[in-house]
Amino acid sequence: MATLLNVSLESRPPGGRRRGGLTASLGSPWVAFALRRLLSLIVILFVLVNVSFLLVRLIPGDPAVLVAGLDASPQQLVTVRHELGLDQSWPAQLLHYWAGLFHGDLGSSFVSGQPVSQIIGERSGASLELAASALVLVLLLSIPIGMIAGALTREGRHRRFDVVVSGTTSVVGAIPEYLTGTFLALVFAVVLNVLPVAGADGWQSLVLPTLAVALRPTAVLIRIVRVETHNVLAMDYVRTARSERLPARIVYLRHALPNILTATLTIGGILFAGIVGGAVVVENVFARTGLGTTLVDGVTGRDYLVVQGVILVLGVTVVVVNTVVDVLLSIVDPRSLSREA
Amino acid sequence: MFRAFLRTPSGVIGLAVIGLLVVVMIVAPILWSAPATDVNVAAGGAGPSAAHWLGTDQLGRDILLRVLVATRFTIVLALIAAGIGALLGVLTGSTAALLPRRARSVALRAIDAMLAFPGILVAIFIGTIIGPGATGATIGVAIAVSFSFARISSTLAMSAGGRDYVAAGRVLGIRPFRLLVRHVLPNIADTLVITTTVVIGTAVVDLSSLSFLGLGVQPPDFDWGQMLTEGVQVIYTQPWAAVGPAVAIAITAVAFGLTGEALARNMNPVLWTQSRHAAPRVSARQARRAAVVAAADSVADTSPDVVLDVRDLVVEFPGRDSSVRVLDGVSFQLRKGEFLGIVGESGSGKSLTALAIAQLVPFPGEVSGTVRLDGQDIGALSRRDREAMLGTDLAFVFQDPLSSLNPALRIRTQLTESIRYHRRVGRRSADETAVGRLGDVSIPAPDATLRRHPHELSGGMRQRVMIAKGLMKNPVLLFADEPTTALDVTIQSQIMALLESFNADDGMSLVFISHNLALVSENCARVLVMYAGRIVEDLTTEQLLAAPLHPYTTALLHASPDITAPRTRELTSIPGQVPDFAAMPPGCPYHPRCPLAVARCRVELPPLAERSDGRRVACWVANQDLGPVEEVTRDGSQAPAH
Repeated sequence: MATLLNVSLESRPPGGRRRGGLTASLGSPWVAFALRRLLSLIVILFVLVNVSFLLVRLIPGDPAVLVAGLDASPQQLVTVRHELGLDQSWPAQLLHYWAGLFHGDLGSSFVSGQPVSQIIGERSGASLELAASALVLVLLLSIPIGMIAGALTREGRHRRFDVVVSGTTSVVGAIPEYLTGTFLALVFAVVLNVLPVAGADGWQSLVLPTLAVALRPTAVLIRIVRVETHNVLAMDYVRTARSERLPARIVYLRHALPNILTATLTIGGILFAGIVGGAVVVENVFARTGLGTTLVDGVTGRDYLVVQGVILVLGVTVVVVNTVVDVLLSIVDPRSLSREA
Repeated sequence: MFRAFLRTPSGVIGLAVIGLLVVVMIVAPILWSAPATDVNVAAGGAGPSAAHWLGTDQLGRDILLRVLVATRFTIVLALIAAGIGALLGVLTGSTAALLPRRARSVALRAIDAMLAFPGILVAIFIGTIIGPGATGATIGVAIAVSFSFARISSTLAMSAGGRDYVAAGRVLGIRPFRLLVRHVLPNIADTLVITTTVVIGTAVVDLSSLSFLGLGVQPPDFDWGQMLTEGVQVIYTQPWAAVGPAVAIAITAVAFGLTGEALARNMNPVLWTQSRHAAPRVSARQARRAAVVAAADSVADTSPDVVLDVRDLVVEFPGRDSSVRVLDGVSFQLRKGEFLGIVGESGSGKSLTALAIAQLVPFPGEVSGTVRLDGQDIGALSRRDREAMLGTDLAFVFQDPLSSLNPALRIRTQLTESIRYHRRVGRRSADETAVGRLGDVSIPAPDATLRRHPHELSGGMRQRVMIAKGLMKNPVLLFADEPTTALDVTIQSQIMALLESFNADDGMSLVFISHNLALVSENCARVLVMYAGRIVEDLTTEQLLAAPLHPYTTALLHASPDITAPRTRELTSIPGQVPDFAAMPPGCPYHPRCPLAVARCRVELPPLAERSDGRRVACWVANQDLGPVEEVTRDGSQAPAH
């Protein structure tokens, strides 16, 4: 699903984010910016919670029957309805849902009876580990590779090499994570037998899933860093640095790199979303017990409250990380403030 | 446009693959539906053989045939997903763009947020509500991709053109929906086509991911994703079973991706640098003309006080068939301490001359000619010596300080790095020099300014910082490209006085590039007038103010309504336009705009002929009094003008 990245990243206008309704009349542009970000975070979380509330209610038919099973007795159905709050009016249900959230209550699994919050608490560690290591790997690989490729092919130099880079990255970017994962497992776990094929214990079991999650976003990010490098190297200030006859090391690392990084950071939030999506799939390939496997088990086992809880938690994580990236960007690149204001 | 598209190899390949896929989609289910679904458990799990090129699956069905037959179902699902996604996205995006300001801001923020939301979670969410299967997966993917469409259509609908249409439409009382259909959609159609093409490719991949998670197509229906999932389940025992569908998915995704990119490149060439330098051929006549000027332009002997000696400077940009000359045989000398002005309309080659001398012409421009700096032919120096010489002797004050200063670096770094690197000056003393220079250009609180980033300074401050930067290394020669345009009159004259003082103290020479004839004539003793990449007149300021000979110089002078006014507007009052380098008129490039043009001007290029008073003019009419000016031959044996 991370190829959704491709389109969304390229569709981002060069100016980055657009101005908000709240004006910068609150003194420091940074305060105004932080307030605006906080406000939009709250709005998005509000929408997210309400949408996830709808999940169970939008399922066609009687959710209680789906939840309790077709062979459930009328007595069980009444219990389930009560438990889901389905015997109340919609506003009351929504209020109840919100109240539950504030107590960390996401309901209980209908399969195991365990509280959903407890399930998520137990399993989010493995997912976090996977997403974080994949993110680090993506950044470590794609920024240098993209920058070198961009520098070599700037202004239409080395056309052939450029074709090779864009060809390879678009092919790799089109390979689904589960296929990469399975292939890696086949080679390294089954044929070479050097790494474990499944599970979530020890760093060895993290290697293959990390690679599987990271490969596609890496290809996508290389393309973006390459284009950003082209853009930055075509800037007047790089010409200024060249006019000073500074050595390539200073031109690239001091003058170009920070500008490439801020441009890349602008899409950091979307990148993270792609990695979370990839992790959900790859956990299922390697049978790592995490939020991804929990989510898919929940869907196939019709354990709706688990699905609802996991989607909510992953969604909130992504939205919060995006906000953090925005704020980080405003610190690293103060221009984003003036762009915004 | 379509022909341009066909010249893009990746686009052609992409389109060819898509064509093949369409054929397979139509033909395969008709021909092979039966063999692709016939169960023969005995032959199950066989490897590749002559009968079954890609082997058979668990139930003994030929995998190759199944892949071919599944093409239709797979691509139709992807098409439906992309189509519904596009429809939903365009509706929400354009509606959002048409909302009143406050509501629009909230809606756009929501679209942004959804864009940064993992698509697979959206698809799983929808799949959970609708239930696992082709319908749920397709609608899930459709909704997941719709946010990209929403983002694009809202951005485009709000972009300058779109907004004007919309505003005009509102004033005229057109209803929103009609506005959308009539005015917004046609403007975003081409971008939507590109996006849809790319999204079809990704939808194939995304649907297969959902199949893998058990949320996609359910047996006995089969698409590539479902086949791949079956293959993956037995990959440790029959690795070949996954190959067919995997390759089909990858090829399809890449083909649509390449086609979309090629479309984008052709529809919006500005965004794609690759096609920027494509230019038509230079005719033989133009080439000959160039040779003529080159020879006629060369100036003899070099005296010791000549700081810069430029001979036959040519800049060419290679086009598809031949190259375009944007600087054509420029020759001139600059003495120590001389202030030389270069004037001309934008595109005349005045800035390019400076860049060519400093070897900063953007790729793939090719520079030829000789440049002597302090008597040294810089082309003959080793790379290291050349860099050292250009890095210490030459300095630039670039036009547009906002873009010419690095936004990510402090003023301190940008001012001091050159002398710290080239002259090995220590941090402390480099800082002191910087503070001094900032003081010179009247920047209040130079210390604090050193710690600032360019965006924290006003336009005028940035321009002064740029000038201070140029003066940091006490250059032998300073190129100043419109150095004072953003400054008010008082500061402007202060800056000019400062440049004069560097001139008096260190004998710094200045090349002052400007379209402002008044400013140039106030500050420079000599002026080069450039037109269409060539010098058309080289004369002293007195000659310029008294009686220019070239009709273009005269026109420039008349275009400055008051030559004594410190700032004049952009030169707009010369009728006609600067010719396009790719379609240069024959003869004198100025003749279409020239009131004095005679027959000869239309066929033959006038050489830059030196006159008895030392000025050089390239004009048949102006040089009539010199008698018949003969054309010089190509081998450079010159028939000088007398």
